[in-house]
Amino acid sequence: MTHLSYIKNSSKLVKAFLCLFAMTLTVSCDFEYELPEAGSIADMTAPLASFSASQSEDNYLSYSFSNLSSSAINFEWDLGDGNTSTSKDVSNTYPSEGSYVVVLTVSDALGAKNTISKIVTVVKPPAPAAKVPSVLEASFEDNSLPDGSGDGRDSWRNDFGGVIQITSSPVQDGKQAAKFPSAGDRVAYQSGLEVTPNTDYVITYYYTIKTSPEGSITLNVLGGAIGSLSEVSSKSLASHVGTDQTDANTYVKVDLEFNSGANETISLLITNEGSESRLDNVSIDLK
Amino acid sequence: MKHIKYIALAFIGGLTISCETNFLEPVPEVAVSSAGYFQNDEQIETGVIGIYDAIQGVNSTSLDDNRGVQIEYYLTEMRSDNTRTKSQEGEAAQFEEFNVTTQNGLVANYYRSFFNVIYRANLVLDNLENATTGSSAKFEAEAKFARAYAYFNLVRLFGDLPLVNGLIGPLDTDIAFTRVPAANIYELIVSDFEFAANNLDNSQKNRASRAAAQGLLAKVHLTLGNYTQAQVLCESIIGGDYSLESNFSDIFYNESNNEVIFAVGYNPGVEADSQDFSAEWMNGVGRTAGVNYVTNEAIEALETFGGNRASLSYRQDLSQATQYQVTKYLPNGEDGGADGKSFNTDATMSGNDWIVLRYADVLLMHVESILAGGQATSAAAAISSFQQVRNRAGISDTVSEITKQDLLNERRVELAFENQRLFDLIRFGVAQEKLSAFSGANGYGFSATDLLLPIPQREINLSNGKMTQNPGY
Repeated sequence: MTHLSYIKNSSKLVKAFLCLFAMTLTVSCDFEYELPEAGSIADMTAPLASFSASQSEDNYLSYSFSNLSSSAINFEWDLGDGNTSTSKDVSNTYPSEGSYVVVLTVSDALGAKNTISKIVTVVKPPAPAAKVPSVLEASFEDNSLPDGSGDGRDSWRNDFGGVIQITSSPVQDGKQAAKFPSAGDRVAYQSGLEVTPNTDYVITYYYTIKTSPEGSITLNVLGGAIGSLSEVSSKSLASHVGTDQTDANTYVKVDLEFNSGANETISLLITNEGSESRLDNVSIDLK
Repeated sequence: MKHIKYIALAFIGGLTISCETNFLEPVPEVAVSSAGYFQNDEQIETGVIGIYDAIQGVNSTSLDDNRGVQIEYYLTEMRSDNTRTKSQEGEAAQFEEFNVTTQNGLVANYYRSFFNVIYRANLVLDNLENATTGSSAKFEAEAKFARAYAYFNLVRLFGDLPLVNGLIGPLDTDIAFTRVPAANIYELIVSDFEFAANNLDNSQKNRASRAAAQGLLAKVHLTLGNYTQAQVLCESIIGGDYSLESNFSDIFYNESNNEVIFAVGYNPGVEADSQDFSAEWMNGVGRTAGVNYVTNEAIEALETFGGNRASLSYRQDLSQATQYQVTKYLPNGEDGGADGKSFNTDATMSGNDWIVLRYADVLLMHVESILAGGQATSAAAAISSFQQVRNRAGISDTVSEITKQDLLNERRVELAFENQRLFDLIRFGVAQEKLSAFSGANGYGFSATDLLLPIPQREINLSNGKMTQNPGY
């Protein structure tokens, strides 16, 4: 009885085993490796190629390339002149001036690639030319402004003193010159003359003063611009006081040197004292 | 009826109470809190002092504390060709090897420290309404100076940054984690320094001054290529309240001398007010075995171009003859005796001030502004400034032309170990070339992207995907 029941039980057990086995089979048939499709995580950090190029200071044909790519471990450079490299950062000396297409291809460990190309234009950097300021109405002539207008003194008007007068005799250049009456209340001022900082210039002009009474005519070169005459002494780059009164009809030439210092523009200020004075033909050049 | 009266009374009472916010949000009487503080000049000034305290940093061996400017040499000098660790190991060696990871604790600490400076500056700026008219502009100028100084350091180290120009809270994640282009950061820096320069005088050296603002602004303009503006600013300092110390070592050991324009102040022996970098630069005196040790390349430059500055800038480690130490900030001015590491005072609580800007730097910036990005200059004004710095170093041969390389060499030896070298290399446009060669010769791993540090990983994580990392990390 016990034995039978054991058999009976065991047959149940076998059934259960069979059942389990079948289930296991079914289950194992359902599960498969799901790589790499469903359920895998996409590459969220695809490689991105990026670089910058800078010209060497010593040799304009040489360029350094800074690799700014992200999520990449392999680099292929095509430098546009036939040279290639697999380094991260590269430098290259080009055979001659011209345009070169630089291509950087980067890839990550999964083989994902990204490419960027840039055109590098190799040119010899021009020597920085110093600016030469051009004085407007430099010889106080009518209609001498760039647009063909002007009364010879429009560029010299200001709030610091009365407008200068124009004389037609004697002149040093052209048909007219500036005239400063003996009262000394006329002022010529021109601002905004563009210069290169820290450059040596020379300003040339001509003046004459009546033989009496005693007088002088002063030209100031100022850094930047002024708002009132009280700023003259602090902004003066150079000045010349003309006192030659030997002949009212003969102009005296002045060459005044100055350095532009920390200024991108300068202005000119002309005043006189004591005696009627004339001034003509102002020009500025590099020393 | 009686009951209604009581109810009405209670109701009125309730009304009265609910009108007074003080009842629901009382200002603590036994402790100081920011709410209700900053009521008068005296209290606002403590806020201003707090900004300098943040720059000064905590003298601590734990990177959980904001170390401020005390750890700046790791991120700047040790990332240049001037210094390295003595043992060449650990987190500190990542800098010299150009192998800084996004988890570097020193980088994270500096980032956090200097944004804390910015926070404290913004806190003062937000509480100026109770200041008297006479003091308000000065407080504002000091706060803006500190904010610009902090941002100028950060933007050169990390590039684009979150622009925080007001108080923000934990929920203002847009501001805290949106990286704004460096050009916009520089706009704030320029306007802050300009305000400071217009509203301060030159009466202080451990606090902001007009010349400090002008000088740092000149450096900003040189960084941006605005050379004429830089020159004007340098010339407004030159010939003013400052002069070169005749003895080079007095700059560092005669504090608040005429050459110092702005220095972060420290006091010896006081834990809350001292610094430990002087000890860390010695052999096993601080927490490390020795950091900011001098490279062979720096020694060669000092011996070639330094004149009498060489022997005053570094020395052989008396305990380890193959190694060389910086001597510009010896702990409390002591030389450490026969073994170079026995100090009478506590070296880990040194009081040497950290010089941020001094007159020689201004003179050399003046030369740089006249050079204006060119290869050479022979302008008289430039040669005069250049010659003054060299004469003091005992190099009296006259110069008729200064090349860009001459100026870079001069800056390297004059300002060695003063956290200038890396920024100079970058500003002169030669960092990639020079550091590649240095890295190659020493077997380090420099690449162009190492010129910017990584944004600390902690910030990236907190930003929840908003903050991007610098390339190469």
